[in-house]
Amino acid sequence: MPGIYLHIPFCRQKCRYCDFTSFPNRLNFAEAYMACLFKELELRGKELGDVCFDTVYFGGGTPSVIDPDYIYGAMKQIKKCFRLSKDPEITIEMNPGTVNEKKIAIYKRAGINRFSVGLQTAIDSQLEELGRIHNVRDYLYCTSLLKGENFSADVMLGLKGQTKEDLRKTIAIAAGSGASHISMYALTPEDGTPIYTDYLNGELPDGDEVRELYDYACQLLRKEGYERYEVSNFAREGFRSRHNLNYWRRGEYIGVGVSASSFFFGRRFTNTFDLDEYMKCILSGFLPVVENEKVEGKDAKSEFVMLALRTSDGISAARYREAFGSDWKSDFAVPYAKNRAYFEEDGDRTKFLDEYLYVQNRILMDFIGE
Amino acid sequence: MAKANPNLRNFCIIAHIDHGKSTIADRIMELTGQVSKRDMEEQLLDSMDIERERGITIKLAPVRMYYTALDGQEYEFNLIDTPGHVDFTYEVSRSLAACEGALLVVDATQGVEAQTLANVYLALENDLEIVPVINKIDLQSARVDEAKQEIEEVIGLDCEGCPCVSAKEGTNIRDILEAVVKLIPPPDGDDEAPLKALIFDSYYDNYKGVILFVRIMDGKVKVGDKIRAFLSEKTYDVTEVGAFAPSLQPKDRLLAGEVGYIAASIKSIEDVAVGDTVTSADRPAAEPLPGYKKVQPVVFCGIYPLDGSRFLDLKEAILKLKLNDASLVFEPDNSVALGFGFRCGFLGLLHMEIIQERIEREFNLDIITTAPSVSYLVHKTDGTSFYVDNPSHLPPPSDIDYMEEPIVKAEIFTPPDYVGSIMELCQDKRGVFKDMTYLDARRVKLEYRLPLNEIVYDFFDGLKSRTRGYASFDYELVGYEKSKLVRMDILLNGEICDALSIIVHEDRAYGRGRILCENLKDAIPRQLFEIPVQAAIGGKIIARETVKAVRKDVLAKCYGGDITRKKKLLEKQKEGKKRMRQIGTVEVPSEVFMQILKTNKD
Repeated sequence: MPGIYLHIPFCRQKCRYCDFTSFPNRLNFAEAYMACLFKELELRGKELGDVCFDTVYFGGGTPSVIDPDYIYGAMKQIKKCFRLSKDPEITIEMNPGTVNEKKIAIYKRAGINRFSVGLQTAIDSQLEELGRIHNVRDYLYCTSLLKGENFSADVMLGLKGQTKEDLRKTIAIAAGSGASHISMYALTPEDGTPIYTDYLNGELPDGDEVRELYDYACQLLRKEGYERYEVSNFAREGFRSRHNLNYWRRGEYIGVGVSASSFFFGRRFTNTFDLDEYMKCILSGFLPVVENEKVEGKDAKSEFVMLALRTSDGISAARYREAFGSDWKSDFAVPYAKNRAYFEEDGDRTKFLDEYLYVQNRILMDFIGE
Repeated sequence: MAKANPNLRNFCIIAHIDHGKSTIADRIMELTGQVSKRDMEEQLLDSMDIERERGITIKLAPVRMYYTALDGQEYEFNLIDTPGHVDFTYEVSRSLAACEGALLVVDATQGVEAQTLANVYLALENDLEIVPVINKIDLQSARVDEAKQEIEEVIGLDCEGCPCVSAKEGTNIRDILEAVVKLIPPPDGDDEAPLKALIFDSYYDNYKGVILFVRIMDGKVKVGDKIRAFLSEKTYDVTEVGAFAPSLQPKDRLLAGEVGYIAASIKSIEDVAVGDTVTSADRPAAEPLPGYKKVQPVVFCGIYPLDGSRFLDLKEAILKLKLNDASLVFEPDNSVALGFGFRCGFLGLLHMEIIQERIEREFNLDIITTAPSVSYLVHKTDGTSFYVDNPSHLPPPSDIDYMEEPIVKAEIFTPPDYVGSIMELCQDKRGVFKDMTYLDARRVKLEYRLPLNEIVYDFFDGLKSRTRGYASFDYELVGYEKSKLVRMDILLNGEICDALSIIVHEDRAYGRGRILCENLKDAIPRQLFEIPVQAAIGGKIIARETVKAVRKDVLAKCYGGDITRKKKLLEKQKEGKKRMRQIGTVEVPSEVFMQILKTNKD
């Protein structure tokens, strides 16, 4: 079922690896921005008509950096403009350095039932190196406030000087804190971010080393009872992220806020990345869409395959047939035959053999374009 | 009997690369008013881009000029420029046969060079009158007297009163023209005798057909005449004759002794071979002129389009180049690794490089070339023997009785300081020392016998780096010698890649195999599986490296906004893959095929 994504583009301080749209010095714009966000929710709601949504996700930036009442207000607005399912999953991303008891209480009152906490690493010196505004104690404090709640911890791989032992400690702390879900991302040095210079100077672990860390961490997570259900996502049974699974099933979603992307009625579209332009547009009653592309035919099928193969469930032939009315193995007969050795079959499902999940781009290439 | 015009002078210029030949030619044209200074593009005779960039002349470009000498008479000059590089010696000999004299240009700062000598001897064989010219007298380091002395000692020419000029600054150019008038004899030849015209070059013009560059030895030719080529016995109706001004300038007729061109709607350049004699179809000469020896290609390589679907474009490019370069030989070839392409033969390494460059530049085609090879003489156990230049055409070792490889006589001129390291290099290249002569205190001539196959590998680079570019080098083919040669194959993931096979001396195979495997390991991108890179001789592995499997190639995050980006990323990755060649299970970038030329790990 479709999901709603809300982008909160504010933060206290930009992390050195951050490539997202967020503005560290413009917290004073939060009120005006949220007003626009409410307005966009209204416009989108009217545009979409009667659609039932199953998940809501507050991402950023740092959604927890702004006054929690805005979040409460946003939820109220969502309920006003959209129809939600009976038991929706509602997630907010949080930076441990921005949280207190009161905030969490308000979030809960707003209906939020899932929290995503950015731990990244349990080594304080590495947190500082990354430009994070919190330390490990802040994380432990934050999660102590989330006792009994459904929450996820974010962990990073491939940090400067990161050892297996560092990673073991990090996972132990995340698991010990009671996280039901762990997202473990390899650091991606994007051009234009400060960390990119570290990469250019060869200070970051190379692909082989990252893989080594990844395989090791996967083992640990499995032992701790977290099952991998996507390249970078691990969950205890029953705690997979519904909002994210929807992306990989090529489900529909609406993104509101600056830079947010949507996929609806076969079109992928994205809002402007410019904060001022976003607000100006909304205030004039327009949707600030800058990119808009209809995805159809072979392209749509390629997307389906590319996304599904990120998950441990892989491609479901039945789901594919339901979406496109054809058999995926015939649609992709040539690339499938060529890469057969990298797949594992499980009834109706086809997925990557474990060892190829982390080199999947080489294989997926054959499934896109002509 | 009507003697040829006594005021006619046909001459060429002999010079080492960079001794100023083209600049002198330009100055002469300028002074005779052939080209106004304003319109003049630097170095007019070198008309191809590559020639101008490299400062070398490849193609002959004759020019006619008029000069009023100090004696008050007007003279007609035909200057035929010559290429300076050893690969093009045969072109030089073609020019020489059309002339009565030659200007020998010597750089006052450098003295006589190896190649110059070779061409001077050619000129002397052709009974040409040689006029020494000392150039670059404007330079600080000019040693005019020493240069003269060297010419007198090494070549035995009298340099008393020879022109000493600076072509760059235009100093004393008139002295050259006066020397041409006084020292070079007018041509012999009889206007009334049956036509005998030597074809010394040709090129293909889209509108006029083949344009023949001729020197009329006897007789005359005009529009409407029926002419016949001796070798092919084909006849043509002359549509145009004329002189080189330096562009084609039509004339009524060409007379004995003159240099000019003939157009006769000739469709195929093969039918009017350079060196052949053109005569009159109605009143043919009894005998053709001596002509030239047919040029044999010496260096071979495979040329393939980078994008396999552009084979036809490559074919067209090569056919077009062939129209203007009879010395280029080729035949279609098919490689398992590279698909359809051509096996081409060249006069030497420079010729090969130039052709490759022209294909890429003039026809805008990306090509893959295989390692240069030479032509081996293979004697089979069944008593038959034949030449093989393509390693993949070599019969199985069990069928080969023995093989012979081409040997050259190499002359290396060098300052004495580098003699030791040159000897080391030659030793390393299986050279046999023949002689060493001190030409003067600063110049030594080393003579070696060397296998040509070592020279095409990396001899030039080795020589350049060991002598900081001070040594010059010339070689000529002297014959074939029995040698222990083997074919070394490269296996990628267990499969032979035919485009990487080379023929190599048995003693060199291990070393080259090891270096090649190391270089290939670095040039082949990591793939989903481990790739063994092996060098093998007849099924026996002699070197091995491994390209490790790729371990990480994944987008860490892929949520709502990342999906389009991920798709684009994959498309881009796929685009890069298109430039790769599939060899068995392995994908290989085209640069890999150049690794074979590298000597060291870098």
